Amino acid sequence: MSPNRTDLILPPGAHYLQGSQACAEGAITAGCRVYAGYPITPATEIMEHAAHRLPQVGGRFIQMEDEIGSASALLGASWAGAKAMTATSSPGFSLMQEVISFAIMTETPLVIVDVQRPGPGQGYITTSQEDVMQARWGHHGEGSIIALSPASVQDMFDFTLEAFNLSERWRTPVLLMAEETVAHMRERLVVPSRDEIQIVNRTRPKDLGIAPESYLPYGHAEVPPMAVWGEGYAVNHVSLVHHTDGNVTRYNSSVHLENVSRIHRKIEDHVDEIARIETRWLEGCRHLLVCYGSVSRTGVEAVLEAREQRNIPLAFIRLKTLWPFPERQLRAIVPEVDTIFVPEMNLGMMKHPITEALRDRCRRVVSIPSLGSLHSPELILDRICEELA
Amino acid sequence: MKKHPMLKYLKEEAPAGPRLPLIMCPGCGAGQVLNYALHAVDTLIREDGLRKEDFVFISGVGCSSRLASHYLNFDSGWTLHGRALAVATGALLANPGLKVIVLTGDGDAAAIGGNHFIHACRRNLNMTILCINNGLYGMTGGQVAPTTPIGRTTTTTPYGNVEEEFDLCRLAQTAGAAYVARWSTAHPHQTIKTIIKGIRKKGTAFVEILSQCPVHLKTAPAEMFRDLKKNTVPLKKAGKSEAKGRIPVGVFCDIDKPDWVTRYQEIIGRLERVESTHE
Repeated sequence: MSPNRTDLILPPGAHYLQGSQACAEGAITAGCRVYAGYPITPATEIMEHAAHRLPQVGGRFIQMEDEIGSASALLGASWAGAKAMTATSSPGFSLMQEVISFAIMTETPLVIVDVQRPGPGQGYITTSQEDVMQARWGHHGEGSIIALSPASVQDMFDFTLEAFNLSERWRTPVLLMAEETVAHMRERLVVPSRDEIQIVNRTRPKDLGIAPESYLPYGHAEVPPMAVWGEGYAVNHVSLVHHTDGNVTRYNSSVHLENVSRIHRKIEDHVDEIARIETRWLEGCRHLLVCYGSVSRTGVEAVLEAREQRNIPLAFIRLKTLWPFPERQLRAIVPEVDTIFVPEMNLGMMKHPITEALRDRCRRVVSIPSLGSLHSPELILDRICEELA
Repeated sequence: MKKHPMLKYLKEEAPAGPRLPLIMCPGCGAGQVLNYALHAVDTLIREDGLRKEDFVFISGVGCSSRLASHYLNFDSGWTLHGRALAVATGALLANPGLKVIVLTGDGDAAAIGGNHFIHACRRNLNMTILCINNGLYGMTGGQVAPTTPIGRTTTTTPYGNVEEEFDLCRLAQTAGAAYVARWSTAHPHQTIKTIIKGIRKKGTAFVEILSQCPVHLKTAPAEMFRDLKKNTVPLKKAGKSEAKGRIPVGVFCDIDKPDWVTRYQEIIGRLERVESTHE
């Protein structure tokens, strides 16, 4: 393998990049050295940039035969010790659900970017937030997921890097739920200095002094240390219900409950550590706007306008993390309000967990939908004024 | 009692309890194939200076794939139905030094994994694919497979199979695999020798091993074993009259060509040379 050229990662300082390029650069900075992908509009620019850049930094890029193959290749790459990623758009994301489920059960760190486009079916190739529920509930079986929602070119870099850190830290697949808007957006990106960038690597059994004979691939800790192939740990990766040592015989429902509950809890018990929200103007507010992704760019404009021009005491919350849903964090800060507005590029999806979390804090939750295009600040503001008239 | 010489490569006992015996039905050929594969690996460890930790077994789903579940005292991945070759591809991108052996079946490789199969052969990554072909879906109860002979009744072709069967070796050869061979469970020495050659081969080696499923074909294992000998013919006699109606076995192709990683690194090396002349 070519040497790992950390000297050739995107240098600190200001850059002018497309969101897709920033995403691939964030991955490379995080240590991603294997990319497997399949072309699909509007996600292709990420793989094209990865194809261009990965060989330069000592990584490898492959164009697979389909999205299932792309996601599957990440499993092997991760088990063989690499940080690996793929990017796709909504129809391809559907195809990857089988692998996502498998990666949850085998506790395999990997990163999947979904540059969302509208559906159902081929739908269209513009922007969308219609996969936010698929991100959480699309895979078969139990098991929680981490899904981030970037809103800018800066986020495409930062959140991709964070996605890798989270996947290594929690030994789980992490989804970057991007949108065509942010993937094709071009704006300023500031790369922090090297010592400001935190890189997380998975804990290996040898780091903890665990010998191969006593190694439990699914044991030792809430997030089990992960042996890499070739290290002499004879690790068997299995997705059938297993004991902590990977044994799949002697099935019983208590082993099953223990196995799957731990995988679920390692995310859900640490929502406060994992999930992030951004808030503005909460003090003294009477209404609230909750949004995520690129809608938070126009959403914040609408809130500013409402506060300054229309004198509406409207607060702003942005979900940077969609899943695990930051319910406790929201309940800790949201005061009693009248109306919660939720603009989304779907017919009202995250409105549901928001309502579930805050139904006793408000009179009503109002969805502001848009399909296939980003809400303008005017669209959001007009709906707010209409509802409050 | 003297232990089987290959037991050292299996996990007999593990913290959560014993893992053996294998889950396979009595008379199944999958255990034989595992035995042949481990003999080949044992030879390579003794003769080629390879270490146990150099080998990785990757499988999909089905009877054959169960071999890589939790019995092996090697690194292994028991992956998704049909996807073992894509997983192997990713592993080799991350670490081309691994000796990757894929254990698959006819349904796993040729039906649900058919697309990955042809592209894995075409890419020529450095892996050895062992395909245990019993001509049906065993684990789910004996359904028709892409390798089931025309006319045969199965649980999903109760009146007889109307589809023609796949010749997996011809398919692998056409798709570009560097080394392609077919034997059967009734050819242990040839199979072991072939697997050794396959693992030594730079590039993708595809070895099909015809196998018996006594349970679903409701035939005595010994009789099926005899049939595998009777119904196969050496490839070099394929055109002759004695070959009529019999399945050719032997080495279909053995080509020297650069594998995927060698080609990729050549291109990258060229870039690096260009870069250094500009400095």
